[in-house]
Amino acid sequence: MDTIIMVFLIILVAYFSLGLLFGFYFIFLGASKVDPLMEDSKKKVRLLLLPGVIATWPFLIGKLFKSKPVD
Amino acid sequence: MGLDYKLVLWNKHKKTYDKIIALGMLLYLVVFVALTLALNPETTAETMIIRAFGSLAILMLHIILVIGPLSRLNPQFLPILYNRRHLGVSMFLAALVHGAFSIIQFHTLGDVNPIYAIITSNMDYGSLTNFPFQVLGFLALLILFYMASTSHDFFLKNLSPKIWKGLHMMVYLAYGLILMHVFLGAFQQETSPFTIGIIIVGFITVTSLHLITAFKESKIDKFNSEKNSEGWLEVCEVDEIPNDRAKIFTVGNERVAIFKYEGKLSAIHNVCKHQGGPLGEGKIVDGCVTCPWHGYQYLPHNGQSPPPFTEKVATYELRLNGKKVYINPNGFEEGTEVQPVTC
Ligand code: HEM
Ligand code: FES
Repeated sequence: MDTIIMVFLIILVAYFSLGLLFGFYFIFLGASKVDPLMEDSKKKVRLLLLPGVIATWPFLIGKLFKSKPVD
Repeated sequence: MGLDYKLVLWNKHKKTYDKIIALGMLLYLVVFVALTLALNPETTAETMIIRAFGSLAILMLHIILVIGPLSRLNPQFLPILYNRRHLGVSMFLAALVHGAFSIIQFHTLGDVNPIYAIITSNMDYGSLTNFPFQVLGFLALLILFYMASTSHDFFLKNLSPKIWKGLHMMVYLAYGLILMHVFLGAFQQETSPFTIGIIIVGFITVTSLHLITAFKESKIDKFNSEKNSEGWLEVCEVDEIPNDRAKIFTVGNERVAIFKYEGKLSAIHNVCKHQGGPLGEGKIVDGCVTCPWHGYQYLPHNGQSPPPFTEKVATYELRLNGKKVYINPNGFEEGTEVQPVTC
């Protein structure tokens, strides 16, 4: 039981830490590459999105790789 | 719909609803504290906060869960449905205060990480009466965090509506976890019979409303009609459709809304491109089919959102024979122009 709990917690912490790192990159740089509406979005909107990006980064990272580079 | 993202798509009504939410929450907390002080004056401030916010959160969750079915049974509830997202985020914040205070009160005394402490301070996972019910609350809070943090339209679009919907359907899992959290917790803290009573009544209300709506909608789905020789389906009489409104039919496994406006009939797919709202329950406003959920608009004769917007839904061909309306069950590509029939 103890090991299950430890593994669960380590995964949880790792998931959210990676999400935080990715999150800052994504809201200020990456997001405009996957969604043109982000280019003109304000800083407050970007920060509002941060918690959600931290929560769902594995889905978004895939989208980022698939996106075509914009010039 | 919009050319950049906004914090919130405000309009006058939404501001009013948000004020009602905030005032309602405040009122609840004040009444809760006043009643607790009157009935149980020795309750500590922390316990009061934990109980006030916990019960507020579950009350709000019940409201959120009944709005969907209620607004399908009676369109008067639709305006609340539009504002459900803000209700959801506020509910999460109330639950967060409850969870945070519980952790502070019960789990920060030692030197271990408080999250670790929630899970391990009571290892009686096999027991019914001494189950670590806080863990269930923690898992529910995690789900609520997912939903609240992804409630912005950005996530609806970029996670894809399918994943987003799946994520938000987890509200039922969260609801189940919270019911267990409260019931198993009741064995240990003497949760008042009042709270337990409210939750039982709430549970019965939520389930019966969902069942009634499902039953009512299954009748629409069972709609059966004669096919004429060329495969067209007879759906109804012209007079059954009210002006500037629609009737919804299931043709070839898809729901289709047939609108009557300006003496004409047009049929489009019933599912809104935004979040799958039922277009056929909306009205024609300024010549456009207007989704009852958040107001996305589509032109009835081609299923396209008016420029600069780009959403498109499938269109269907209609025919009139006397008063009888016929539909071709094979829909067209999304956004295909179809000549409306005059009636
Ligand atoms: C980290 C997450 C959570 C923790 C640690 C936690 C902890 C607790 C504790 C210790 C109690 C007993 C309080 C008392 O009666 O003195 C309690 C009760 C309760 N919790 Fe939670 N909880 C969490 C999440 C949630 C969530 C997400 C909800 C609902 C949305 C919720 C709803 C309730 C309710 C309704 C009660 C009963 C309140 C009453 O006695 O009137 N909890 N929780
Ligand atoms: S579902 Fe949001 S506008 Fe139709």
